Amino acid sequence: MVLAIIEVKGLCYTYPESETPSLIDIDFRADPGEFVLVTGPSGCGKTTFCRVLNGLIPNSYGGDFKGTVVVDGMLTATTPVYELAQHVGLVFQNPENELFCTTVEREVAFGPENLALSREEIMMRVEEALETVGISHLKEKSPEELSGGEQQKVAIAALLAMKPKVLVLDEPTANLDPVSAKSVLELMYRLNEKNGVTVILVEHRLEMVSNLVDRCIVFDAGRIIADGAPREVLYSEKVSELGVGIPKIVQVSKHLSEFVGEQLRFLSSDELASYIRGRRN
Amino acid sequence: MKVFRAFEYRRGTTILHRVDPRSKLVYLILFTVLTVYFTRLLALLLVFLSFLPMVYIGKISARWKQSLRGSLFFIVFIFIFNFIPTAYLSGNIYGAAISAIAMSLRFLNLISVFSIFFLTTSPEDLTQSMVQLKIPYDYALTFNMAMRFVPTLSREAQYIMDAQRSRGLEMEKGNFISRIRNYIPVLIPLIISSFRRAELVADAMESRAFGASKKRTSLYILKMGRRDLLFITVALASSLALFAVNLFL
Repeated sequence: MVLAIIEVKGLCYTYPESETPSLIDIDFRADPGEFVLVTGPSGCGKTTFCRVLNGLIPNSYGGDFKGTVVVDGMLTATTPVYELAQHVGLVFQNPENELFCTTVEREVAFGPENLALSREEIMMRVEEALETVGISHLKEKSPEELSGGEQQKVAIAALLAMKPKVLVLDEPTANLDPVSAKSVLELMYRLNEKNGVTVILVEHRLEMVSNLVDRCIVFDAGRIIADGAPREVLYSEKVSELGVGIPKIVQVSKHLSEFVGEQLRFLSSDELASYIRGRRN
Repeated sequence: MKVFRAFEYRRGTTILHRVDPRSKLVYLILFTVLTVYFTRLLALLLVFLSFLPMVYIGKISARWKQSLRGSLFFIVFIFIFNFIPTAYLSGNIYGAAISAIAMSLRFLNLISVFSIFFLTTSPEDLTQSMVQLKIPYDYALTFNMAMRFVPTLSREAQYIMDAQRSRGLEMEKGNFISRIRNYIPVLIPLIISSFRRAELVADAMESRAFGASKKRTSLYILKMGRRDLLFITVALASSLALFAVNLFL
């Protein structure tokens, strides 16, 4: 068995000044290079889970934290966030709060500057990160002039400059139009596929991602209620009971299954289209 | 809110943009001192005229004018509150008017010199110059962040005002006191959302290894050059000249 890059055991967490726990009995493990999709109704603990993975919880938030979280061999509860930041990058929902410099270059350099790397090394990392994300041409621009999708890419580049092994994205496309969303999600797929970055992606646009990922976990009321291949998870009883955020394609497939009397489990409209084309011939 | 927007830095390539912030700080201090020190209308007018070439060189005339227009309310306020008591006490309406105009002009000068400084100085360069002036990075960054989020907050204030108006809040209704009170339903959500935003920004910074080392690297180091020497010389010479003129007026 490979050494897990993320290992969460018996995690229960309650925010300070909160009565009810936000995460309950979480056991989760991810291998290096995995692409895990996280979904579930809003307020189910996804964002909290993201903060747990990069150590903001419990280090900055406090609260009642039980269980262990080990990321890239480090126990998050006893490792400072700036140390963890070099192993896990966290992308937030709203790029407006993530970007605070006047040029893209300085934005990407902020992390490496904090690490007190040499100037040459910082330059190199900035170039490399911008190239990987495909935004080298935006280097001199101000983040404010960019589209939401570009801003989110800048945020991702800013994390890549710290060379993390894991990227955690908390609904990175929530404020984006469909075209930008698609290009950000495809970027994540490429980073995972080509650069071997482990990706934990919280996402509601399931149609766009469910056929890109190896694995899908579903949160509900602070618990993980399903974990497995997207096809298994999205078509499971428990998840259809939730009814939230399930791709339309799942509904269509189910209806179609009843209609044609055969078990159909499509994940994308392309799959459905080619099935229909096949039936016609 | 327009007053704030008029101080918002936008990138430029003019010589004023490229001069080291520390040189511009010298200019800022010199002309602030002159403005505060001078009391005569003519002297203050000369200071005001000296800003015109700066505004022209920096190509910031549009936003500078905006900053002046934005401060119109304060200027009227200053004029009235200087004019009425002085005129009442001295009985000299002409003299009171002149001194009230001088006071208003003094305020305009202050607005102008700060607007020239901030419109042509990028927040990062300013932060960097503070760091190089041995001000602790945390304080410098706090300042940088404050500047960065001014436009964001002013946009948010606008949204909240629109939202409250659409629920029937009449902001321009009533006398002076109740008009101020009308702003409470705007201020409270604004303050709460600012705190929330501050937390999110702090999260984002921590996630990018903020505080990882005592002495962080700066990608760019500011260096004073011949340009700066020239700039400081001109600033010093012109303020000495203004000072001399004021003596002989």
